[in-house]
Amino acid sequence: MAKLSELTANEDKRVLCLGNEAIARGAIEAGVQVFAAYPGTPSSEISMALNAAAPELGFYAEWSTNEKVAMEVAFAASISGIRAMTACKHVGLNVAADVFYSFMYMGCKGGFVTVVGDDPHCFSSQNEQDSRWLGVSANFPIIEPSNPHEAKEFTKLAFEISEKFEIPMLLRSTTRISHARADVQFNKYESNFKDGEFEKTSRFKCLPAIARANHPKLLEKIEKIKEWIPESGLTVVEDCSDNKFGIITSGISYAYVKDALKELKLDVSILKLGMVSPLDEESIIKFSKDKENIIFIEEVDPYLEDRISALLIQNNLYPKIHGKCSGATKRYHELNYRIVAEALSKIIGGEIPSVAEIEEAVEGTKEFIPFRPPLFCAGCQHRAAFYELSKVVRKNNGIFSSDIGCYSLDPWVTDTIVCMGASIGMANGFARVIKDKPIFAIIGDSTFFHTGLPALANAVYHKANFNILILDNRMTAMTGFQPNPTESIPIEDVVKGMGVEYIVEFDPYDFENGKKTIEEALKHEGPTVIIMRKICANEWWRTQRRKGEKIEVYSIDPEICIACGTCIVQYQCPAISWSLDTNTKGKKYSVIDPSMCTGCSVCSQICPVKAISKVE
Amino acid sequence: MDEEYKMVLVGVGGQGILTISDVIAIAAQKKGLHVLGSEVHGMAQKGGSVITNLKIGKKLYSPTIPIGSCKALVGLEENETLRYIKFLKPDGIVITSKTVLYPVGWKKDKSAADIAHEKIEENLEQFKVKIIRIDAEELALKAGLVLTQNIVLLGALSQIKDFPLSEEDLRSALKERVPSKYLNQNLRAFDLGIEAVKNRT
Repeated sequence: MAKLSELTANEDKRVLCLGNEAIARGAIEAGVQVFAAYPGTPSSEISMALNAAAPELGFYAEWSTNEKVAMEVAFAASISGIRAMTACKHVGLNVAADVFYSFMYMGCKGGFVTVVGDDPHCFSSQNEQDSRWLGVSANFPIIEPSNPHEAKEFTKLAFEISEKFEIPMLLRSTTRISHARADVQFNKYESNFKDGEFEKTSRFKCLPAIARANHPKLLEKIEKIKEWIPESGLTVVEDCSDNKFGIITSGISYAYVKDALKELKLDVSILKLGMVSPLDEESIIKFSKDKENIIFIEEVDPYLEDRISALLIQNNLYPKIHGKCSGATKRYHELNYRIVAEALSKIIGGEIPSVAEIEEAVEGTKEFIPFRPPLFCAGCQHRAAFYELSKVVRKNNGIFSSDIGCYSLDPWVTDTIVCMGASIGMANGFARVIKDKPIFAIIGDSTFFHTGLPALANAVYHKANFNILILDNRMTAMTGFQPNPTESIPIEDVVKGMGVEYIVEFDPYDFENGKKTIEEALKHEGPTVIIMRKICANEWWRTQRRKGEKIEVYSIDPEICIACGTCIVQYQCPAISWSLDTNTKGKKYSVIDPSMCTGCSVCSQICPVKAISKVE
Repeated sequence: MDEEYKMVLVGVGGQGILTISDVIAIAAQKKGLHVLGSEVHGMAQKGGSVITNLKIGKKLYSPTIPIGSCKALVGLEENETLRYIKFLKPDGIVITSKTVLYPVGWKKDKSAADIAHEKIEENLEQFKVKIIRIDAEELALKAGLVLTQNIVLLGALSQIKDFPLSEEDLRSALKERVPSKYLNQNLRAFDLGIEAVKNRT
């Protein structure tokens, strides 16, 4: 990651940074004055960078409780004449959708930019949503950078377009832009921070009569932008003056096309769209007019393909269309230049090096490659809490409605994971139809404040009988240990204020007590709230090490260990593995890696033969 | 150098892959070359298998590397090296640590580790690329800091033919990147990595 001093330095310099940091720098160079966001991979580093830079540069940045609130914070600043931005992951944009569908009608004053990070291939997400559809259905102008340098430049440009047309902008990134690392040219900037001024006009009241008048005005703006795009420099035509084939692409897919053509040693005309909504109709028609074949290269959905195919028909142009419709590329997962080269070679021709021998070797060795999925960290408090829960209620004897966060990694009981806050929301429904099993909603502190609150109010109001396990690890750990309201708002006070009668708290590192607490809660009519409270083990451990504090680790006596696998196979602590050698009885035993052990002690409590103890 | 030099750095989350990827990127940038890489964050990272793509060159486009296309692989864990060796071109080179980190996939089967361990050389050789295996853990301990296994491999990497950055380029980038408190151990680890390759040939 780039250093904070590099991100804020007011100088012309090439800096190594992530695509997300380039976006943050673009916002700084554009003089963003208010920034609000909720974390979510792959967008979080934008917000981390801007939250870190804000105090130094004198603008306002916050970690909001959810994406909707974040967008509202930025929206109010914008209509008060202030440059404002929000950033979220693709599914976060859904949470904010209620805001922007109406916000678009009203238009903005200070430049307003929403950055959305899509995640083709689901590297860290529950779906592959293509946010371009969401943007276009709300009439957001959408720009799509194809590399980290463009990500920075497009962010700056987005503020300018937004102010020029008084329209909120959507900048769409994807994981491979956001988490690309490159040397990016930073430029000098001027920021003119000012106090907001709110002009009392009816356009910000979204009442039916006003909305009815605002809608055509929004569409007029879109038409004006459409006319302006050809002069914006956002559309790039690389014309090779051969009319047989033309490729239309945007964003990261453009980069794959460039490398694929290099691999194939082909020269083909490319139309690269920087703005994907509204479409640069003039340039698209000019490009397509003489082409016999148009090839669309884009990730996940056929967004450009569907929209541009319609546009061509409307203009009586009938080139042969290649894309998702012809199976050239798939409608799921990410692309790379080899996938694109294979697709292009089938349409245009050209050779790509064979990988048959490599694939054969992969086939011959794959049985030896061990499964290594992401896991709870060593000492993770969630592992302890879930283990205790699974000992009280076995998976088949309960319904476990979980949520989004590190605890999604639970290997024992979890039945459902849908979206932020759905744990409690769905438990409300399970409580109406599942009568023979206890129902658990499992939710983290950050997710609880994000969208858990309305669902809890629903449960109390309708007297839904289920148990809510709130895993309070004091931060939003999954996305990089961000702070959230649990720092200053005690969850027990909130749930008490909402009318929950049975509220208990426990320390998950005390195995027997953890089990007892959950067992006891089951005897009470729901909604009950069980709060697990323990700081994130990973963050605690890193802090201790940074401070040079000693960590009291545990070890296993090889002679007492009976290799039953309780600590390894059942509890699955990553710090514990089987020995490579054997003990005096000629048996393998389990070993704790002292460089990973956080000293949580849970393994020593669950070991049936008490072979594990603290290293003195 | 060629128009672009493609490599992958692989291992397990927490082994210091991003640190060496940073050092290489800093060194390349100082030399006036462009850098483009791609890494994995969030859910995908936690103790899981990690791969970072890195390209160095004059004109770079896509940040990822498909199978059969890169020149060098640096592996911080042997089994991860085997998982990702397919990304190398036939004339590519592997620099891998002999370190084994116990994956969850082996936990049920006590003998899986032994079998995989016995077969690792044979399995790697199926890919018909040049392989340099280094006892990075032993050398890092010799350097005085077990966490410098990544730097040992970086030293080894500097000795590869065609690698666009020199020993000195990397050493000066290393000085910028690692905490000054541990600089001596890191420089020592770097030198031990260089020696390991030199003694071999």
